[in-house]
Amino acid sequence: MSTWISGVGTSNFGKQPDLSPAELAWQAIGEALSDAELASGARPGIDAVYVGSVFGEPGVAVRVLQGHAITGVPVITVENACASGTSALHEAAVALTSGRYEQVLVLGVEQMTPLFNGPIIPQQSDTEGRTGLAMPSMYAMEASRWLYEGRTTLEQLAAVSVKNHRHAMHNDRAQYRGEYTIEEVLASPMISDPITLLQCSPISDGAAAVVMSRNRVSTTDVELVASAQRSGGPWDHRSDDVWGYRLIHDTAQDVFEAAGLGPDAVDLAEVHDAFTIGELTTTEALGLAPAGEAGARAASGATALGGALPINPSGGLLSRGHPLGATGVAQVAEVVWQLRGVAGGRQVDGARVGLVETMGGGVSGVDGNACVVALLRGQHGERN
Amino acid sequence: MTDPRPRVQGTPPEVVGVACTACHHPMPTPRPACAACGGPVAEARFGPAGVIWSSTVVRIPVGDRQPPYALAYVDLEDGPRVLAHVAGAVEAPAVGSAVELVAPVDGDVTVEVIA
Repeated sequence: MSTWISGVGTSNFGKQPDLSPAELAWQAIGEALSDAELASGARPGIDAVYVGSVFGEPGVAVRVLQGHAITGVPVITVENACASGTSALHEAAVALTSGRYEQVLVLGVEQMTPLFNGPIIPQQSDTEGRTGLAMPSMYAMEASRWLYEGRTTLEQLAAVSVKNHRHAMHNDRAQYRGEYTIEEVLASPMISDPITLLQCSPISDGAAAVVMSRNRVSTTDVELVASAQRSGGPWDHRSDDVWGYRLIHDTAQDVFEAAGLGPDAVDLAEVHDAFTIGELTTTEALGLAPAGEAGARAASGATALGGALPINPSGGLLSRGHPLGATGVAQVAEVVWQLRGVAGGRQVDGARVGLVETMGGGVSGVDGNACVVALLRGQHGERN
Repeated sequence: MTDPRPRVQGTPPEVVGVACTACHHPMPTPRPACAACGGPVAEARFGPAGVIWSSTVVRIPVGDRQPPYALAYVDLEDGPRVLAHVAGAVEAPAVGSAVELVAPVDGDVTVEVIA
């Protein structure tokens, strides 16, 4: 059963230590409310708020919301690692379809620069974290395995970074952008073999917000056709797939089945490229490329703007930035802009169906803390 | 707080983990129930032989840890997959390499490449 996205907004993304989490979130909420009001002619009534935040200080949601006079309503804050924002969105959709609310706000907010000098310090209560496996190394392990299996190459990994930094040239809210060569990406400082600096998403501050409605309220509403969320099964010696692959695959199957659509229907995707290898494994796990083909498609331009299936036209996490709790909601905002046809220089021509995927990790022993996949459909324009 | 890393004891060194008494699924750390079937678990020992499933060298400081250090996922013979430090490795050891557990270093499960 569909729900409707009536308004979206984001802050800028980047290192913004002089702003408070509330100030970041106010930008996003203000834009989302104005967007919804412009379309429907009335300020949205917000019956409840679903918030995604990972390192958010206690009380961050309520501290933020009173600034926009959103008080006296249920507020639910979700922590699901990098998939926190889209987990909040999925729960909001379930609440709307069940008839619990008519209209809700989904907010993702994260301020990371005051917390970390280098990479995110892994949880010391976790087996992998205590052993020194930081997030770049989790993904480096995937790359190590795929290189061994001949399923990708170093140059194909680098091509993802080149593409997404180029996409962000057209995104003035992105943290980073630029024209790089594959050689420059591979020559940037090694972080965790074989992942180099330009293949890592940055520490970011940012926020994103979405107004969701049970029934369509305006002509510019975008349909959330289906969404799904799962935690991972065991990831252990029986696993032939790299970490997270099976979880992403299974969550996508849930969504395609619920939507009555297949991967062939997807015109663009915003996926979890926290590290370059993540975009490739995700592209294949979602069924957007056959096994062993995602790297070649990144290298050939098939997943670039103007290609057959553009992936991460926003610049992705690699370039837009990755404020953890905000990321999933920002992905949804990007897809909504794309499906309305208002994405400017990064517009995917004729986009009608968009996919969002967010992956959160990495608790030891399981295939992921949470994966969310969502399918959105625009109400304007014709297919190419 | 209990150290969450797998315990390594004995000569030759072995991971002291648990195995399911119903389905025999091996796991590297103690827990109340089998990760595969939910059945009861009992202490079990694994290693010292294993094979590298994937590997990396960490080139940046992570918390208090100073780089570089090599890590590998190791499938222990008839045992679980464990995350281990690789002693003496300056490059990422090849996937498929045979390794053996050595005495833990500062509490970290540690292996050395033997072939």
